[in-house]
Amino acid sequence: MASVTSTPAAGTERPSAVTARDLARATATRQRRGSRFKIWAGSVCTALVVLPVALAGLLPLPDANAQDLSERRLPPLSDGHLLGTDQLGRDLLSRILHGGQVSLSVGVLAVLVSGLIGIVAGSAAGFFGGWVDALVSRFLEAQLALPLLMMLLLVVALFGPSVTVITCVIAVAQWPEVARLTRSLVLVEREKPYVAAARVLGLRGWSVLTRHVVPNVVRPVSLVVLLLLAQAVLLESALSFLGAGPQRPFATWGRIISDGQAYLTTSWWLVTLPGLVIAVLVVGVNLLGDGLRDRTRRRKGAGA
Amino acid sequence: MTPSPHHAPPDRPSPREPLRRRTLLRLGALGGTGLALGPLSACAGPTGAPGPGTLTLGLNRSLVSLDNKLNQFDAAVTVQRAVREALTRIGPGMRVQRVLADRFEMTGPTAWSVRLRQGVRYSDGSPVTVEDVATALKMYGKVNGSFLLGLFPELPTVEKTGERTFTLHTERPVPVLDRLMANIHITPAAANRPEELQSGVGSGPYKVIEANSGAGEYTLARNPRYWGRPAHVDTVRVRFVPEESSRVIALRSGELDVVDTLTPDSAEQLTGLPGVTVQETSGVRISQLFYNFRKPDDHPLADARVRRALTYAIDGEALIRDVLTGSAEAAEGVVPLALEGAVRTGAYTYDPRKARAQLRQLGAEGLRIRVIWESGEFAADNSVMEAVADMFRDIGVRASLLQFEPGGDILKWRQGRGGDWDVIGNGFPGTTGQALTSLQGMYGGTPERERTRDTYMGYVVPDIQRRLEDAATETDAAARDRKLAAVQHAIWNTWPSLWAFAPKTMLARRDRVHDLGLLQLNSYDLSAVRLEG
Repeated sequence: MASVTSTPAAGTERPSAVTARDLARATATRQRRGSRFKIWAGSVCTALVVLPVALAGLLPLPDANAQDLSERRLPPLSDGHLLGTDQLGRDLLSRILHGGQVSLSVGVLAVLVSGLIGIVAGSAAGFFGGWVDALVSRFLEAQLALPLLMMLLLVVALFGPSVTVITCVIAVAQWPEVARLTRSLVLVEREKPYVAAARVLGLRGWSVLTRHVVPNVVRPVSLVVLLLLAQAVLLESALSFLGAGPQRPFATWGRIISDGQAYLTTSWWLVTLPGLVIAVLVVGVNLLGDGLRDRTRRRKGAGA
Repeated sequence: MTPSPHHAPPDRPSPREPLRRRTLLRLGALGGTGLALGPLSACAGPTGAPGPGTLTLGLNRSLVSLDNKLNQFDAAVTVQRAVREALTRIGPGMRVQRVLADRFEMTGPTAWSVRLRQGVRYSDGSPVTVEDVATALKMYGKVNGSFLLGLFPELPTVEKTGERTFTLHTERPVPVLDRLMANIHITPAAANRPEELQSGVGSGPYKVIEANSGAGEYTLARNPRYWGRPAHVDTVRVRFVPEESSRVIALRSGELDVVDTLTPDSAEQLTGLPGVTVQETSGVRISQLFYNFRKPDDHPLADARVRRALTYAIDGEALIRDVLTGSAEAAEGVVPLALEGAVRTGAYTYDPRKARAQLRQLGAEGLRIRVIWESGEFAADNSVMEAVADMFRDIGVRASLLQFEPGGDILKWRQGRGGDWDVIGNGFPGTTGQALTSLQGMYGGTPERERTRDTYMGYVVPDIQRRLEDAATETDAAARDRKLAAVQHAIWNTWPSLWAFAPKTMLARRDRVHDLGLLQLNSYDLSAVRLEG
């Protein structure tokens, strides 16, 4: 009996066949380690791109549109041009960073708008059900059935390529994913006792939804919105690449790559470096979102 | 002592279990990877390489039809004329050559005597007749929106004088009718329609055996009944490859044999590569940054002095040297000097200080300019436009760029129906080799034609139009040249372009392709091309 209650002394044999090594190799431990690594690596990759882009105006860089035709297509690490120059002698680093401001602004605005639309529509559908649910669900299914890029190109062709139009188009294109997730989370939440309690206390439907249900689902939804940021940046770049981006001389990542592809074999940096920046950002945002999601899940699991 | 089962190494396969699930999965994964990567390894080599008797051409624009009634861009001429022929053609040195006609002579100021060549026939064996020529002219005349009709001051009428002979009549003298008739393709009368023909036979050295006009892809085979010298190559495949970089890579890998209308940067990439030759010749097309002549009278751009002041902002030398990498010549006239009858009228000067001073003097400071163009209008168009916008900024003019993708609304905008603009990036081809035709096409606008918006960017100057018409009807060659020279100077003094240049015609071919005689018109005689190996 005493041997059961007494704490084993240091160095003594564990009273279990599960060793410390086994614990370290356990799935839960690996997942925790993995999510920590994902968050760390994702933050580094994202910061590596986002910080210079945000501070582009403060960095000692040449004007992104200042041309010097005598210095065209200089390779990286040339005098005064860390990433070289483009086909019109403009500093490539400055163009990538200033272009990133356009691409990232479009992406951030688009996901904010799409997140807002998605949360409002999805939570209303999940909470109220009935005809609201039918309407929202059919609408988002119809939109999901359309080929995304084709739809975007069509809208841009109709309304003209401007930053506002492209932002709205991407925002409208992405709301179904947020709405679907919000709806399913709200469906779970609305059956919980605290919702019934709130109703018993006399709160009206909208008040219960906005004051009690939405705050409980907004965290996982915001992670999906974060993941959509990478997709929005990619979509904006794809539109610019296809010639449906903001008009020249706005530099955007897609356009820098599109313009540079004619020089692929002679000036590799014109395509490779902006492509690398997009890849680092997308991987970074995805890792960060993934890591945060894993951590949220674990916490929820632990809480339960 | 027999070891207890739990002490046995857990991962070691038992001899009784020759194939475990994990092994099976590994094998499956390995096989799947092999299958997935197998096709990729094939990408390393030129899998789509044409056969020894097949010539593959990569066009940068889609060849919608092998008929030229509505669709005649430079490179299309090569393919269209391999299938359908005209009475004449513009050959080397911009000289007129007779094709279906063996006689084409001016017998009076408004009459031309023509005789069809003995034995000319279509690929189905039927003969080419005088009625076919008369019908072709009628059909071209009925087509709406035809670019070719703008080249003809009037379409001639046919008067049959014999089995193979006829006379072409015009109301007024058209001294370059033999050159203009190079654009009228002859098709059997019964099959001709006032539209782009999607099928039908021609009298050319090749016949069509497979056509996909939607994708712009055609397969041509040697016409065994060709009336002239048979073509050297058995089969010609025509492909539409819009992306310049894809065309360059396809040529390098041997998938394509010839790519035309190269940009200077692609030519730079291909020059010096083993197995590839880049050919170039001076072009007869003029590329312009043309002003909008539909501006109201009180608009600064309606004043020729403002238009001239703006030209000082453009550093043409830098654009030619650095952006177009020497693949063009700065215009020194209102049409390319390679055209017969073209004269030097002046040159564009770069002097931003003068531009700023003159604009200030004329009260046109802080001008806003909207520049429009269609992608692919000329080589390196995007770079040229962005460079021009930067040059405008240096003189305090704010330029906005509006780029149209092919198939967009630029035609509507060009006609002043889409929106307001100030400068357009545009090109005008010299299809007849004569300065007169290009001059009439661009500067011969009349108020009547402007009512239907069929003038060139709204350029309507009655005096110039009258003088051009006078030169066009002059039958004495020396007097015509004198009149033409004078009117070109008069046009230059209206400052119609912000800047202009004549791009060189460039083409790249694999070394197995021989005897490709690239003409200044950016086309070549497909039947003369030979393949080696």
